[in-house]
Amino acid sequence: MSLRVAVDTGGTFTDFVVLDEKTGALDVFKVPSTRGSEADGIIAGLEQYLKRQRRAAGDVGFFSHGTTVGTNAILEEKGAKTGLLVTEGFRGIYEVGEQSRPYGATTYDLFYQKPPPLVRPRYTAEIGERVLFDGSVLRELDEETVRAAARKFRAHEIKSVAVCLLFAFRNPAHERRIAEIFAEEAPNCNVSLSSEVIPQIREYFRLSTTLVNAYLNPLLTGYVAALDGRLKELGCRTDQRFIMRSNGGVATFETAARRSVQTILSGPAAGVVAAEKLAAQMPGYRNVVTFDMGGTSTDVALIENGSPARRSGGKVHDRYVLVPMLDIHTVAAGGGTLAYVDASGVLQVGPQSAGAIPGPVAYGRGGTQPTVTDANLVLGYLSAGNALAGGTLSLDKDAAERAIREKIAEPLGLSTIDAARGIVEIVNVKMQEAIKVVSSNRGYDLRDFYLLAFGGAGPLHAGPMAEELGMKGVLVPPFPGVTSALGLLLSDVRHDYVVSDLRALEAVDARKVNEVFEGMRKHAEGELLGEGFRHNQLVYEYDLDLRYVGQGYELTVRVERVPLHEGDLQKIRGDFDQQHLALTGHSAPDAGVEIVNYRVTGVAIVPKATLASPFSAKGTLDDAFVSYRDAYFGSAKPVQTRLYDRANLPEGAQIDGPAILLQADSTTVIPPGQRGRVIELGLLEIMRA
Amino acid sequence: MDPITFQVIQSRLSGIVQEMQDSIFRTGYSTIIRESQDASCMLMDPSGDVIGEHVVLPLHIACLPQCVRNIQQTFGADIRLGDAFLTNHPYLGGVPHSMDMAVITPFFHNGRLVAFCGSIAHKSDLGGVVPGTGYGNAREIFQEGIQYPPVRLISQGEIMQDIEAILRANSRTPELVLGDIRGQVGVARLGERRLAELIERYGLEPALEAFAMQQRVTEDRIRATLRSWPDGAFEAESWVDTDGITLDKRVRYHIRIEKKGDGIVFDSTGCQDQTQGPVNIVPSLALGCYYFALIAMIDPKLPNNGGVARVVQAKFRKGSVLDPYFPAATNTYMAAATAITEASLQALSGFVSEKRMAGNGGVGGITISGTTPAGKPFVQYESVGSAYGAHAHGDGPSAVTVLLSNARISPVEVLESEFPTRLVRFELIEDSGGPGKYRGGLVQRREYEILTDDAQLTLRGGRHEVPAFGLAGGQPGRLGGCVLNPGMQSERRMPSRFSGLRLKSGDRVLLERAGGGGFGGPRERSFERVLDDVIDGYVSRDAAIAEYGVDERRLDEALERWEHRLREFANVQR
Repeated sequence: MSLRVAVDTGGTFTDFVVLDEKTGALDVFKVPSTRGSEADGIIAGLEQYLKRQRRAAGDVGFFSHGTTVGTNAILEEKGAKTGLLVTEGFRGIYEVGEQSRPYGATTYDLFYQKPPPLVRPRYTAEIGERVLFDGSVLRELDEETVRAAARKFRAHEIKSVAVCLLFAFRNPAHERRIAEIFAEEAPNCNVSLSSEVIPQIREYFRLSTTLVNAYLNPLLTGYVAALDGRLKELGCRTDQRFIMRSNGGVATFETAARRSVQTILSGPAAGVVAAEKLAAQMPGYRNVVTFDMGGTSTDVALIENGSPARRSGGKVHDRYVLVPMLDIHTVAAGGGTLAYVDASGVLQVGPQSAGAIPGPVAYGRGGTQPTVTDANLVLGYLSAGNALAGGTLSLDKDAAERAIREKIAEPLGLSTIDAARGIVEIVNVKMQEAIKVVSSNRGYDLRDFYLLAFGGAGPLHAGPMAEELGMKGVLVPPFPGVTSALGLLLSDVRHDYVVSDLRALEAVDARKVNEVFEGMRKHAEGELLGEGFRHNQLVYEYDLDLRYVGQGYELTVRVERVPLHEGDLQKIRGDFDQQHLALTGHSAPDAGVEIVNYRVTGVAIVPKATLASPFSAKGTLDDAFVSYRDAYFGSAKPVQTRLYDRANLPEGAQIDGPAILLQADSTTVIPPGQRGRVIELGLLEIMRA
Repeated sequence: MDPITFQVIQSRLSGIVQEMQDSIFRTGYSTIIRESQDASCMLMDPSGDVIGEHVVLPLHIACLPQCVRNIQQTFGADIRLGDAFLTNHPYLGGVPHSMDMAVITPFFHNGRLVAFCGSIAHKSDLGGVVPGTGYGNAREIFQEGIQYPPVRLISQGEIMQDIEAILRANSRTPELVLGDIRGQVGVARLGERRLAELIERYGLEPALEAFAMQQRVTEDRIRATLRSWPDGAFEAESWVDTDGITLDKRVRYHIRIEKKGDGIVFDSTGCQDQTQGPVNIVPSLALGCYYFALIAMIDPKLPNNGGVARVVQAKFRKGSVLDPYFPAATNTYMAAATAITEASLQALSGFVSEKRMAGNGGVGGITISGTTPAGKPFVQYESVGSAYGAHAHGDGPSAVTVLLSNARISPVEVLESEFPTRLVRFELIEDSGGPGKYRGGLVQRREYEILTDDAQLTLRGGRHEVPAFGLAGGQPGRLGGCVLNPGMQSERRMPSRFSGLRLKSGDRVLLERAGGGGFGGPRERSFERVLDDVIDGYVSRDAAIAEYGVDERRLDEALERWEHRLREFANVQR
């Protein structure tokens, strides 16, 4: 049972990282993803590996998985046929939504359309009942309306139902009774209650979250069951089977499927966890911004002093989901992002992407509009002959050059090289703006942070970006292309809990706060023990959501120790003022503050892989030298640039830019004026020379 | 300047404004800011031309520049580092109406005035005849609360206690007003900080050059498009139900747009004379309407900066509804602004016929105010959206904000938790979208129950008499309405603009907004789409037959088939 298997399913490839605990050997490989039946690709990859290594499936003692099943279903609107139950008279909550149009150019768009609803009005049923703001019942639940809805939904083969009644977060009794009635009338219908999924005020956002959960639950349940079955068939019987969630923790298969809305950021979250764990083991590198650049998008997140930033919800793919998640910001910028000259004669890059098909012009699959990858190839950063990760694709540099010349350079009156450089610089700016959203826009000073670059394209772009942003430097993990999969081997189980209890901070004392926290902790403990974890695995994190009296939105402030001592609340109040100032430009230390929510996170520490450098090169820098290639940096003339094999770089080696490091899953560019250094754990640090 | 650096700085400026925008909403005190998000931020150059924006509410785009110009005029050289100015004066400042407070700070680099950072945010109450300040029957701005000309709120970092005292003394909700103003100062300071970083990175001269260049690029782009249009002139008119004073007289807004070469003139001299009631708008707001219409016609992605302002020429007639003499009332300006924008879009579509669009359901705000049973003053202001008209490419979207307005709906749970009202219904209105090959958007209905004996109601706009027009054979949208105590003996239909209607506990207020107009003959709509609409409750069976000309038997059979599964199932159960 010594094999620890991590599988990260992406749009194009399914990435594997397998660690043999006994020998410490780390295997990294990719297989093509099997869209629509993702379990096939996973099982195929695992089978191949076991065969290659002459190992038995019974040797797998840990299986962790990052999935895009939920994200894709939302993006492609391929979730379950879902019904919606609302308080009688209040269908408008979902149909009106926010009412406002998205800010930015859309506001001027006369042909604007709302995103299509996940549930058509015909499958919305109104339930006779009404709860008031204080939780009291104005109108008792009319059970006949529930039964009628259940029968109708059953007849129409509704697979899943979201229930969101007004003020159910104050008094969940009616929602709970509805679940009971559905269990009798439509036992095969999956039921999601707003009071369980996210018991928070603001009905539309709660409804939207609950609905996404309902929309995805049958899919995730089916997927997990299929995967589970296939794993068992293969002979893999470990009970340590987990799925990554948006909050950066893993959950058992069953829990993940029941709260499917929490798996929406499953893939990108794993990358952040990898970064978190790397930072945790490297005392000098505890402040990083993760920069995960793939083919169509880039995910960024901030890790301060070893802890990743979190948020309590937001819009993901046009849908509001108010569940705790890592504060991951996504921007439509990746290797496949298209460049074009717009009607004003301005060079634009994105947000449209060439996707995997047709992909960049250089792929020779029919793409005609240049992409970021084409620009990187023309500039000499990518190798034309070098096989891309997991594939045997070679790149057509001439075609890329021609496309950039004809579509960009000539219309703008630039040289092809300047046009290519422009494409890279503009996409860099977009990604820099994304980095600022999670850092300087939140009051952090980027001068204190490293840029941790991974994903297939991250290490190509990171050098100049970190310099532009004034960051400390760049860190590149050992296997940039499969960093997310690596994160899966390093995660704990995390469950988040929230209790809303609006009260003036002055009106509570440490004892009262301790009481609430202790109640929540017990609840968390019960659930985690129920999932099979042991007492000595459990730890807890505590936060308070605070705001100035009269405000409507809160800031989350960390509570360092529970139970609180007298005086701790004053310190928390001070922390709040400080955070508010940093974030918004003002604070009001004399104004009243109120507690809005108590938050507890229950963490079950899972035995994890230990990080060690996967590289064991003992030679000199020259042993890693491969050849020279012309690459373009600041000037119009190419620079003879040294290429190195990353795996052969010895620890401590220093590489002066310009240089390009090759490895199977990614390419790293060290620009002129910067210097790379191989540091512990096989990481590469790039700093200003 | 090289195109790359230029694009980089332009993206940065927009990023700064987005950050300011996020911050102002997150820290808001009044529900108007934090739930409705009725506020917008901008960066301007010293002459007031916009250099950075991120559209939230397009209607503010020409107002903040006007405020900057008036601050410049008022204070001249006496504008210093650390100052902050405010104004809510439509004439002396440049805001749309006195409930909108502009807060603006100068940004200096090495002693040189380089830019202004500012925001406009709707205030919960600034005194006046009715709580919430928006008095639908006002005849002069003196009935629209206290008016602050451009004044200094902060002098070189020091709060002017006198001003703050006056602000505090002139609001029914002083904590909300001062809290929100503090937030506005905060975001302006945030903007200053970020501009300083930008200049530190790129240098002052390149930054200034980029400010100028982005306006030039926008200007060039618009002029190039204008050259591709045929020379000529088109005109259009639009109506508002009433000015709130003379209830039986509609108000006419008219525009004539002449395009010649790469120039364009918006001529509003054909508008009617200014009204007694508050449906007048000031020229800076009218300009914002023209900018909106032009950008919507040319390219929604066009940055709305000073370049747009340089192209648009406008002719106003002093004493008209678009250029009234001081102190004409302006507080229900939204209906007027929407009317002139819609007329401008119609006239412009003479040049770009594929962007023709049927009429929209209009705009309006509802204010329920008074004191809670516990004796605390409250102002519950909501901006309730309507629906867009249909166009040659599809149905109009339902239940959205239209054109220049873009406020969020207030959550029922927040309203009921904070104010003595209860929502009874919140839903889309069947058959409210104008029938057509492409259907107009449906609109919402909200019904309130009052839970305090000291309350009053103000309504600011709505289409209760003039519906959203249909196009190309499409039919008009359903009219809006406001009914007090529907179905009861005391039932009363209200006009679209009034104030101070007294309410007591148990009273009900039914608010129905107007639907969007249809496009193309309704009989051209496919049977399947009509059927879908009937099943979804968007179109009634009767309207499907009468308006869309659907065969009655065919429809009933199809509906039967849809219901069939249900009935069959129910039979088995029995």
